[in-house]
Amino acid sequence: MRMLRAGRWITAVALVLLAGVYVRALAYTPIEQSQGLAQKIFYLHVPAAIWAEMAMILVGLSSVFYLFTKDPRLDRFAAASAEVGTIFCAIVLTTGPIWGKPIWGTWWTWDARLTFTLFLFLLYIGYLLLRGAIPDPAMRARYAAVLGICGMCEVPFIHLSVYMFPTLHPMPIVLKPGAPSLPGSMLLTWALSLGVFTLLYVGFVVQRYALSYLREQLEAAGEVGHA
Amino acid sequence: MPENGNYMIAAYIVVGVILIGYALSLYLRTRRSLRA
Repeated sequence: MRMLRAGRWITAVALVLLAGVYVRALAYTPIEQSQGLAQKIFYLHVPAAIWAEMAMILVGLSSVFYLFTKDPRLDRFAAASAEVGTIFCAIVLTTGPIWGKPIWGTWWTWDARLTFTLFLFLLYIGYLLLRGAIPDPAMRARYAAVLGICGMCEVPFIHLSVYMFPTLHPMPIVLKPGAPSLPGSMLLTWALSLGVFTLLYVGFVVQRYALSYLREQLEAAGEVGHA
Repeated sequence: MPENGNYMIAAYIVVGVILIGYALSLYLRTRRSLRA
């Protein structure tokens, strides 16, 4: 219960801070001249993309350790991280087309970066469906761990796709070798947003972990279906 | 400068709805488990 309360508090604080990021991004950050107001989608799209990828990396790492140790806490964390990663990936896949339409003239194109990101989303959905389909906890955790490790292996391809393939998606302007190509005020807004998305990830994962634990207790008592 | 503020507003609304919706979903699922 302490963990659940902590998760709720972290999430509540993060949502309030997100409102602050909205105000800063919309009212106090300069408008980019060539893209206009649509460029401000960057402050939500990129932090969500970073955490969609980080969440899958953490799913993969905890899955590797789970296969060695069989510690149920690692499996619980992987399940929580996967669900939260799905939410962040959904944000990426909705804000991306909304940004792409005015800038590229199309909602979607089968470009390498976009396709790899869609594949990541489908991996997340597959991971969650797999967990929901297997009633035996040990078998569920083992199979999910294997899929989680496969998901982690896909993440570098997303990040490097803009270097490996001809693509419409822009090159990284912050997470790249060398200094970020952003003016200071825009970089600060982006960094604040990334901090808030990090806090949101932590708050959501802590709550989802506590929910899994609660469900496992009920499952052990034979009262509900598996998590 | 291009006039595309509507797209920005749509994106900010969508992100808010997704995040608040997920936070609410976690709250409701946890409450249901606690009551069971």
